[in-house]
Amino acid sequence: MNLRADHVAGGVFIAFGLLVFILGWDLPFGRITAPGAGMLPKLLAGLLIALALAIMIAGPHGETLAEIPFDDATHAVLVVGIAALATWLYSRLGFLLTMPLLVFGLLAVVERRSLIAAAIFAIALTLFAYWLFAIVLHAPLERGTLWF
Amino acid sequence: MEVVSSLALGFSVALQPDVLLYALIGCLVGTLVGMLPGIGPLAGISILLPLTFGLDPTKALIMLAGIYYGSQYGGSTTSILLRIPGEAASVMTCIDGNAMAKKGRGGAALCIAAVGSFVAGTFGVIMLTLIAPPLATFALRFGPPEYTALLVLGLIFLAYMSTTSLVRTLLMAAVGLLFGTIGIDVVSGHFRFSFDIPELGDGIGIVPVAVGLFGLGEILSTPSRDVKNDVKAPKLRELLPTRDEWRKSAMPIARGSVLGFFIGIIPGSAHIISSFISYAIERRVSKHPEEFGKGAVAGVAGPESANNAASTGAFVPMLSLGIPTGPVIAVLMAALLIHGIPPGPSLVNEQPKLFWGFVASMYVGNLMLLLLNLPLVGVFVSILRIPYAYLYPMIIMFCIIGVYEVNNSVVDVWIMLIFGVIGYLLKKFRFDPAPLVLGLVIAPIFELSLRQSLIMSGGSFTIFYQRPIALVLLLISALLLALAAWGAFAARRDWRAKMAEAEAGEQA
Repeated sequence: MNLRADHVAGGVFIAFGLLVFILGWDLPFGRITAPGAGMLPKLLAGLLIALALAIMIAGPHGETLAEIPFDDATHAVLVVGIAALATWLYSRLGFLLTMPLLVFGLLAVVERRSLIAAAIFAIALTLFAYWLFAIVLHAPLERGTLWF
Repeated sequence: MEVVSSLALGFSVALQPDVLLYALIGCLVGTLVGMLPGIGPLAGISILLPLTFGLDPTKALIMLAGIYYGSQYGGSTTSILLRIPGEAASVMTCIDGNAMAKKGRGGAALCIAAVGSFVAGTFGVIMLTLIAPPLATFALRFGPPEYTALLVLGLIFLAYMSTTSLVRTLLMAAVGLLFGTIGIDVVSGHFRFSFDIPELGDGIGIVPVAVGLFGLGEILSTPSRDVKNDVKAPKLRELLPTRDEWRKSAMPIARGSVLGFFIGIIPGSAHIISSFISYAIERRVSKHPEEFGKGAVAGVAGPESANNAASTGAFVPMLSLGIPTGPVIAVLMAALLIHGIPPGPSLVNEQPKLFWGFVASMYVGNLMLLLLNLPLVGVFVSILRIPYAYLYPMIIMFCIIGVYEVNNSVVDVWIMLIFGVIGYLLKKFRFDPAPLVLGLVIAPIFELSLRQSLIMSGGSFTIFYQRPIALVLLLISALLLALAAWGAFAARRDWRAKMAEAEAGEQA
């Protein structure tokens, strides 16, 4: 049996709805006269599960999971990985070191550009962004905890 | 007369040199945002939002609104010359605009699109000037039950008008509403789903979510090998349409302007929907429907006018009711809130300089765009020649800076990354992320209004049909649901299914 895209999506949303119930278990539901903090999240989680079930029921006529094109997945994973690494480094190394590394990483690793071109572009772009945000707009950029 | 004196006040604000400068920057950036694939108006406004923090609210709103309606102009350039819609509302322009370009009439198509956008934008602002203040006065009668009913209507209208199914849209809205409940409950003070992360105490910000879903999500699904940018700019003398082309585009521009404005007021991705409906109407009323798809001028003039009028119309509910009709308007509302100004019925009376300055700036902005877009088309097109492989790292860098600057928080950057992945997956599984953003924005207002209504009535839901305005709004909601259910049971392939097919076809 071919797994349908709507079955997978519906299943994920049902799991999400159940997770909301579990995480919000301790939140008071309250009464209709005085609704509690947990009332809306739990009502919405119930609605979400019902709608996800409706999508799953309609699923057998939808496209199969194999029909969804994931030929861009390698690009997406690499970009997310490099951006996540840059985010982790951002508060440690600060703006001036992290941003050239981010741009260089994307150009050199994902786009396979020449290392020299990637380095020049990364440094030039970072300096431009620094000039725009820090000098012209006086926006506080992350300085990092390791230095400055 | 009151409108005239108020507009005079507005122009005294909008024509100040520094305000003009910010309107110009907004229009220029908006044109670029509309042209570049992978960065639509929503991501563009969200990324550039931090740039406005140092400005006063009037200049900030004028600049951000300039980006929004500038992007509608910019989107037509790539649609006509490259058959790539820079943003979703330009999908229909691709069909006949690019066909005209292939016949050597690309310059004329650009000119008609720019003039149509100018006429429609100006018509939209005139209507906004006339409608928004009385609507705001009427909205002062709204209490919590009316706001609850209005928000329910907004969500159901959004689902009804959506190009995906009603169930999928409502599901996305429910997910957005759920994300909107994260943070401290304003009534009881309980922390909800914040996992001991202090930054989540105030909830999830709309900027990281919008930038993640619409900016990063788009980049993740667009590898550089799929982006071609061999483009030729038309020469200045090729820009002038013939007398026959002007004649054929006059009525489509007029129809698109009226249709677009009224669709713009309705919740949903109005500027996108309006261009689809306008195209369908023009083909229906045309004496030569067979020309559509092969370079019909009306196929450019109508949709381009409609999407510009709609983007202006969308400001009516925001300014007069404090209700966002779409994700872009939601981000603009967030911008006002960041500046300490709650949009809504009291805005006209309490902030007349901001309100009327903003309205007047839209007249000026539309003129600026007309004067900028045609002579500078060559310059804009040369920017399209920047290889996408170098462009998207720059966009990602600006996404990180922009999101971080809102609260100086790395947690927001992580949220953006997570929503980038969610946006990528939603696109793969054919879910529209726009209702999610809308749900996120209205969740706090909706929850507060609902709880206040129930407390007011002692826990009785009858309050919603004892008050006439709330009752009417809920009856309209019920009618829409019934219509949608009828459509599903009859399995009729209506205009929304055709829109979805056309959109999917263009994206393929």
